[in-house]
Amino acid sequence: MAYSEKLIDHYENPRNIGSLDKGAEDVGTGLVGAPACGDVMKLQIKVGADGLIEDAKFKTFGCGSAIASSSLVTEWVKGKTIDEAETIKNTDIAKHLALPPVKIHCSVLAEDAIKAAIADYRAKASKKDEPQAAE
Amino acid sequence: MDHFARLGLPATLDVDAATLDGAYFAAQRQWHPDRFVARPPEERAKASTEAAALNDAYRTLKNPLSRAVYFAGLHGVELPGDGQTIDDPELLMEAMEAREALHESATAEAVDTLAARARRDMEQALAGLGTLFLRHDNAAIRKALLRLRYLDKFAEEARARRTNLQRVKA
Repeated sequence: MAYSEKLIDHYENPRNIGSLDKGAEDVGTGLVGAPACGDVMKLQIKVGADGLIEDAKFKTFGCGSAIASSSLVTEWVKGKTIDEAETIKNTDIAKHLALPPVKIHCSVLAEDAIKAAIADYRAKASKKDEPQAAE
Repeated sequence: MDHFARLGLPATLDVDAATLDGAYFAAQRQWHPDRFVARPPEERAKASTEAAALNDAYRTLKNPLSRAVYFAGLHGVELPGDGQTIDDPELLMEAMEAREALHESATAEAVDTLAARARRDMEQALAGLGTLFLRHDNAAIRKALLRLRYLDKFAEEARARRTNLQRVKA
């Protein structure tokens, strides 16, 4: 089975590997897994004051396609608003990397990871907006 | 026919290895292709189908984890299939941290320590399943099996890591 050049490039030179401060208010963390294959993926976004995603990091333990999918997503979301980032579909990822049919689930994992990171960021932001009790 | 019935065994979570082997070899003899060489084609085909189903049953029931997953399926506990994701933070955090520790382990001894802990965790989780089935706590069964899947994957990765470390050393 031949893998696409883009896929191999993301696998061999993954972008944005690492972690952001999970506890920071401007960081959203998504942690998802695919138990059938034992993959686990963490994807984090850091949102600037202007509402744009200024940084994204990932850590994935899984097959090459899962690593490439998460690497690609971190690259795509940088500079986007969270609303724009939320529209990323697994089919876009699969198409860009030309994932073989048996590896489509890896792109599903990456889509779910970015959605979970956005949901986490939103949950933190709405908590911050709630009126604080006077001290 | 379910795998247990095919081997003539009661459907239970714990299966004695010798009993399972005995049941398998007896059934296998019954459907062995050699006994059907002189038989009509439809009987030969049936024997070969039965032999394949037997192998499948034996393979599934031999391994404690695949047996537990199968047994759970008979009790209506479905695990996520290919392409289905989970977001249980506690379970995934444990899996992520374990894999990070493995990734950072630089010696075969360090890998062995991690692998031994994972084995212990697996044994404990498997031993705890019986109680969960008695309580019909399907949510807890599902969670325990998902955790076991990740522990099993960890054990597999630990073996690969160990092989790599030894290759580098050699």
